[in-house]
Amino acid sequence: MASSAFQPLLRTAGRTAGRKVRGFLLYVVRNPALYLMLLPGLFFLLVYKFAPLYGILMAFKDYDIFAGKNPIDAIGLSPWVGLKHFEKLFASPQFLKVLTNTLVINGLKIAVLFPIPIVCAILLNEIRNRFFRRFLQTSIYIPYFFSWVIVFGIFYALLGSYGIVNDGLKALGLGTVRFFTDTHVFRGVLVFTEGWKEIGYSTVIYLAAITGIDTTLYEAARVDGANKPRQILHITMPGLLPTIVLMLILKVGYILDTGFEQVLVFYNPAVYDVSDIIQTYVYRLGMGQMNFSLSTALGLFNSVVAFVLIVGANTVSKKLLHRSIW
Amino acid sequence: MARRASIARHPRTGISSGAGDRVVKLLAYGFLSLLSLLAVLPCLHVISKAVSAGNLVTAGLIYFWPRGIQFNTVEFVLTQTPFFTALKNSLIITGLGTAISLFTTITTAYPLSKPSFKGRRLVVLLYVVSMVFFGGIIPAYMVIRTLGLIDSVWACILPFTIVQFNMFIMKTYFESLPESVEESAKIDGAGDVRTLAAIVLPMSKPVVATIGLLYAITYWNNYFHVMMYTNSPGMRTMQLYLYDIINNGQAFAENLFSGWDTQGNAISPHVTVNGIVAAAVTMSLVPIIAAYPFIQRYMIQGITVGSVKG
Repeated sequence: MASSAFQPLLRTAGRTAGRKVRGFLLYVVRNPALYLMLLPGLFFLLVYKFAPLYGILMAFKDYDIFAGKNPIDAIGLSPWVGLKHFEKLFASPQFLKVLTNTLVINGLKIAVLFPIPIVCAILLNEIRNRFFRRFLQTSIYIPYFFSWVIVFGIFYALLGSYGIVNDGLKALGLGTVRFFTDTHVFRGVLVFTEGWKEIGYSTVIYLAAITGIDTTLYEAARVDGANKPRQILHITMPGLLPTIVLMLILKVGYILDTGFEQVLVFYNPAVYDVSDIIQTYVYRLGMGQMNFSLSTALGLFNSVVAFVLIVGANTVSKKLLHRSIW
Repeated sequence: MARRASIARHPRTGISSGAGDRVVKLLAYGFLSLLSLLAVLPCLHVISKAVSAGNLVTAGLIYFWPRGIQFNTVEFVLTQTPFFTALKNSLIITGLGTAISLFTTITTAYPLSKPSFKGRRLVVLLYVVSMVFFGGIIPAYMVIRTLGLIDSVWACILPFTIVQFNMFIMKTYFESLPESVEESAKIDGAGDVRTLAAIVLPMSKPVVATIGLLYAITYWNNYFHVMMYTNSPGMRTMQLYLYDIINNGQAFAENLFSGWDTQGNAISPHVTVNGIVAAAVTMSLVPIIAAYPFIQRYMIQGITVGSVKG
């Protein structure tokens, strides 16, 4: 046999593999505690992260939740329909609308809000009065810890039809603005409240990055007669650049995954046209209309594109910054 | 020294550096004060509305400071709405959830932090995969329903048992600890569990506090999963309760109009629909503001810990 020439080679390979397995088993036997420790986490992964992957089959079937003993059993027993749900989905005007809304809302948020925390961090770093600096930082940071429902409650009191802002507009003779139901302003409300809640958090990240800049650079610049604007331009900004790029990559990478809870809490049927995003539509299709298969198909589309974007973002980050996102 | 240098003129441009410095300073104080007001005033407005006289609230005369202070609205919210049921549920989920999450996160991060741990790459890969690819909310719902967890506390805890980012921060922190300390514990005959509990964890208090706080805030603020996985009114948490009050505040209007509450007691004229919403929001703000000094201390530290990785 021709293969006999390879026999010794194969045997060596087999022996190495065998040794590897034996080495691994020996290690496990010697360190059982380390492996036992992993079990609670792996159990969680299996139940909540990997078991749902089986549920993706719903997208390729006409899922009937009562077809089996339980909802998961029913997945196996429901009839296959191939790509029917995807064809239906991609042909529906609703699909284009929610995709556009997702990109427009999250794109607006990046365009309008991204630079603000950078400016905040740089300016905060210039405030020498420690008490005042602490007060500023605290007050800007605190909304980050409020839930979206609380933020909604606060802005409802401000912007509702009897809210203080509309009282002011009326007093100025400008009439009232229906912030939560007017399709022309609702996206603005989403962008503004996103900024209100999140700017403090990003500011702290940039502040931490500024703290990492070598202080001798500033001293040298001062000796050379560079004033504050020049120091900011030539020392702080270059020092911040890797963090800025990383944050931008992350924001673009997660463009399909953000804003869900905010929109879910803030929106209502009057503004579905301008604010219904992929995930809120997935939710309503599934839990509202009980159209589980179509909903899963849209969810799968979202997951796949999000996966490509995030892995892409990580590749860019590794190339540009030699740093992995995870 | 620094003072003298800062008023020196630029050798080439001859521009007084003092002017530029002043502009930056002015901008810093002006811009940040404005942002800070934008953050604080809305909160003050809601809190003021919650405790101001009813007629002033209805007339829209309350701005950023309470007038005609009364606590009847707060009392109404506490006694006539399911506030305490929601508070109890939120506390249970947050307490139990944070404990479970911390335990699981620590026991996962510790083995993975050991460079010699065999199988480490595979397990890390599993966590990365679970982080970047999501099965979808409907498949996850079907799993929860099949397990019979709908309407249970466990359904609200399971989604956040391990937040992968938190686990990786913890792992990075463990990796940064000096190996020699653990080695000496090993030589003294301590097993892995004892080394973790008696040596590693006491050295990791800051990161444990930070991650614990992150989990607590996640559980406390979670709205979507609780809404998705629970139906019964008895399972409502603070977020669901608050959402209901904000959206159905008008439902109280009839009740208020009658002037009598469900127990047949007269309702104070200070209690108004706007006041009720404001009071409910205020009562939900209180725990977070109370915990803020702690949050401030550990969260800034936490972000710094997180950014060390890489």
